[in-house]
Amino acid sequence: MVDDAPCMLKAFRDILEASEYEVFEATNGEEALAVYSEVKPDIVLMDILMPKLDGVTATKKILERDPSAKIIVVSAMGKSGLEKECMEAGVKDFILKPFKIQELLASIKSLARG
Amino acid sequence: MSDKTMMGIEAVRGYQEDIIEAIPSTIIVVNRNLEILYANRNYYVKSGKRDRNVIGERLSRAFPQMLIEKTRIDDKIREVFLRGEPFDGDQLRYPGGMFYFYKIYPLKEGGEAISKVVIFMENITELTRLEEELRESYVKLENAYEDLKENDKVKSEFISTASHELRTPLTVINSYIEMFEEGMLGDLNEAQREKIQIIRSQTDHMIRLVEDMLDASRLESKKFKANKSPMRLEEIARNALDELSRLAGLKEHTMSLKINGSLPEIGGDERRIKQVFNNLLTNAIKYTPEKGVIDVTIEDEPMQVKVSITDNGIGIAKKDQEKIFQKFFTGSGSSLTRESGRMGLGLAIAKGIVEAHNGHIWVESMPGEGSTFTFTLPKYDWN
Repeated sequence: MVDDAPCMLKAFRDILEASEYEVFEATNGEEALAVYSEVKPDIVLMDILMPKLDGVTATKKILERDPSAKIIVVSAMGKSGLEKECMEAGVKDFILKPFKIQELLASIKSLARG
Repeated sequence: MSDKTMMGIEAVRGYQEDIIEAIPSTIIVVNRNLEILYANRNYYVKSGKRDRNVIGERLSRAFPQMLIEKTRIDDKIREVFLRGEPFDGDQLRYPGGMFYFYKIYPLKEGGEAISKVVIFMENITELTRLEEELRESYVKLENAYEDLKENDKVKSEFISTASHELRTPLTVINSYIEMFEEGMLGDLNEAQREKIQIIRSQTDHMIRLVEDMLDASRLESKKFKANKSPMRLEEIARNALDELSRLAGLKEHTMSLKINGSLPEIGGDERRIKQVFNNLLTNAIKYTPEKGVIDVTIEDEPMQVKVSITDNGIGIAKKDQEKIFQKFFTGSGSSLTRESGRMGLGLAIAKGIVEAHNGHIWVESMPGEGSTFTFTLPKYDWN
């Protein structure tokens, strides 16, 4: 889970651990790259607006190194151009904040299976 | 000269000198040697040479030397003698901030060469001052307009940033409410469940307000684009009516949908058009007293589809009918009497969405009798 808001990371953790997922945190794009290559997670939840390295750039870099990476963008930025850019870059899903927990879990579940 | 002019001159021949003397402009006649042959009364008054006769004096003595050097009026007079063409005029600045405008005309006598020219001088100090004032006002106005545009931009950016920033805490709150509701955090007792429900409905309301603010700033900055695909208006209308039936039920309203003709599929952004229905219907429900009647009519017209939403509610005063589509308009009463929970964005957003589809939206209303909001969507995409 990549998000610069600590309370958002905590909420993600509570939601996902309740569904028995193991989670790793990163608070910006740079950290995300480091954590990704270290733990090779099954799924990445990526925020967009972050310090140091933004989510779009981080997403592209991760996909460059690992084209099979499964990335879900979870962002407060609802611009249609942004969604298009992310999907074209190879993101699996684009979820707008605020989301429904079930919507998030459904997206994760379908990727975890696939 | 025309016959009429000749007759006129004939009629005033006796007192034409008085007329020339009375003209509130300076008139000076000079010969080829730039000697003054005539100067009217205005010249003496303006030049302060009341007690002196300037006839026969050279122009260079009658005019301040500095002035002649500055304007080269002497050269210009010689030029008029040489060419026989009038000099069309120039500005002349007198010491002490006086402005004059002067012209030089050749005086032709019969077919002979030009032996005299007449100089007309007009005091344009006041005019110049006004012109300057006007120019200054224009610059001020332009600056004020730029400031206003800048303020508006800053305001839009602020709204956009603020609503983005609000989304993250709202997401966190929303997630935990959902976890409580889903029982992910243990069983709740009745009192806890009731309170969670209140937090839920208030959070939903806050999310809607934030979404509206974002939409308004998006529509304003023209960043809003309709994602068009074929859509069925009838279906959208039905869904909107279904979703709002609970709200309408609380006030025991009767809502109906009437379709005139068979509706074609048209291109549009389904989610956005649904939002238009929602906003108009929510208003109709809100501003109609209990047991009201709300009708949605959709008509197929040659070039467009027309949707009307009619209620028999409180209506809208004539003076407010234009303003209700402006953002942040919440009625023309004092700000202390406005209803809570609204920001005056619903209709502005509806208008923005309809216009992004190249359609139109308007209202017809009689206070006390009800309102009809109508919007049209073109059937063909001309782009």
